[in-house]
Amino acid sequence: MRSERQRKAWLTVAEVLVKIDAHVHVFSKVTAEFPREANDQLPAEDEAPVERLLKTMDDTGVDRSLLIQIGGTSIEHHAYLLHCLSTYPERFLGIGRIPDDVDDPVDHMDRLAETSGVIGFRLFGLGGPEPLQPVDIREFRTYPIWKRAAEMDYVIWLYPRSIDVHLVPFLLEAFPQVRVGYNHLMVSPGTENFQMENGRPRIETRMPPAHRQFVRGMSRFENVRALISGQYAFSNEAWPYADLRDWQHYLARLFGADRLMWGSDFPFVTEEYGDEAGYGGQVRLVEEVYDEWTGEERGMISGGNAEGFLRFK
Amino acid sequence: MVAIPKDYREQWDEEGYIILEDALEGDHLKEIQDAFKKHADAALPSWIEGVRSGRRSAGSFDIPKAMEKEDAFIDLADHPNWFGLIDEFSQRDPLFINGQFRTVPPNPISYVGWHPDIPYDGPIHPKMQIYLEDVGPGEGGFAFIPGSHRREKGPYFRPQRLETMPGHREFTGRAGTAILFNGYGWHTSTINRTGHPRRSVILIYEKWNENRHDPERHRGIAERLTPERKRLFGVTR
Repeated sequence: MRSERQRKAWLTVAEVLVKIDAHVHVFSKVTAEFPREANDQLPAEDEAPVERLLKTMDDTGVDRSLLIQIGGTSIEHHAYLLHCLSTYPERFLGIGRIPDDVDDPVDHMDRLAETSGVIGFRLFGLGGPEPLQPVDIREFRTYPIWKRAAEMDYVIWLYPRSIDVHLVPFLLEAFPQVRVGYNHLMVSPGTENFQMENGRPRIETRMPPAHRQFVRGMSRFENVRALISGQYAFSNEAWPYADLRDWQHYLARLFGADRLMWGSDFPFVTEEYGDEAGYGGQVRLVEEVYDEWTGEERGMISGGNAEGFLRFK
Repeated sequence: MVAIPKDYREQWDEEGYIILEDALEGDHLKEIQDAFKKHADAALPSWIEGVRSGRRSAGSFDIPKAMEKEDAFIDLADHPNWFGLIDEFSQRDPLFINGQFRTVPPNPISYVGWHPDIPYDGPIHPKMQIYLEDVGPGEGGFAFIPGSHRREKGPYFRPQRLETMPGHREFTGRAGTAILFNGYGWHTSTINRTGHPRRSVILIYEKWNENRHDPERHRGIAERLTPERKRLFGVTR
């Protein structure tokens, strides 16, 4: 245990650490300049403009954010993301998407990354065999993506479905140099429990998740970071989501303070989506959940880790 | 005939485990292997759907309600090749808790971490794992920390990498080999780095006690049990 004097010293350190939101989305209305897919989650007239995000960040003391592509996977669908990254390069880095059926995923990745702040790519399905089938990672649909990520130092932003979780350790072992951010408390949703509620994901899942032993096992791979994000989708309680506290602390024991990263999932945590705690609640979440930790440790989760791991400098 | 170590009582008390080579052999082993495969194959689609839905983990796969499906599986609970030991180590009053007919797919991580099954102040908890195929080094065998069933040997801590647990032993063996161990002891399943799943039967016992006695647990096979087995399975007191 640190003394009170030491704790105050750490708090002082935390106050000067950068605050980085490692998981946000921005999108425009569907326009000719910024085409995107429209669906139930993102109707054509909906928007979460970057200016709104910037004001929210400024109001709550968040310095920088990682923009996660939403609204489609084609190059054209990335128009708004690329616009935001080029307009505000000091505030944002980005994560792109790759179409499942693209002929040349490597070309797609390189085109998105070469002239922008796109530092990596989000994956949902991994394109490998079902459990108990023979595994050869070279046969995975996403193998070229992981291989290119290793070659080009791209980040993999991972949110696999439950049927694909068993494939992840094979890839982590084969590509230890690839930086992997495992999204949303490392909970991988199944098919039966994913729905939309108030325009945002609602995932009815038991906690801890069925694949918790995979989470434990994956903590051995030092290139993996766990995202403290997405609580609203899994919790049956309002902020600060007390029913998730055991799991949040389990992740902390597995990964340690230096391998967790906080993300808000803006805009789905704002009052516009019925979230009473709002973005400010998300900003305070790390302090609330890890209240027994030092200020420095909380500062690392709230931005220090993302700054280094995602290379915001 | 089972090759029982001469000083098995001492081995059990000191180390917390006993290896029974050829606990199953010959035609009987093949009968269990064939029945296992038949029922595992039949249950596989449902398990895959469970994984897809998020209700099941892909880390391991148990045949659901296996003993209801096969009398030969029921016979394993008091098999003469090992039941004398179970009886002895359960203070002549064993309760059969459950049988797990488990398939472990290859994966760079294990489906379970180091753990004891029961606290030191709980009822004695003998457990046995029977390999249904040859298990060599790195092929997902059972591992145990000899002596860890004794409170004074601890405390033990869970390492991030299973293989770094100090003092552990990984058990290899040919098909039919069984490892009988004390559930107070720390154990795990090692990483299966083969290209094929590892299949085994896990039999769980405890000294008979009211807390764990559940007449509903084996209700599905109650009519097929002898009076002696009804007591062993906890259907009756």
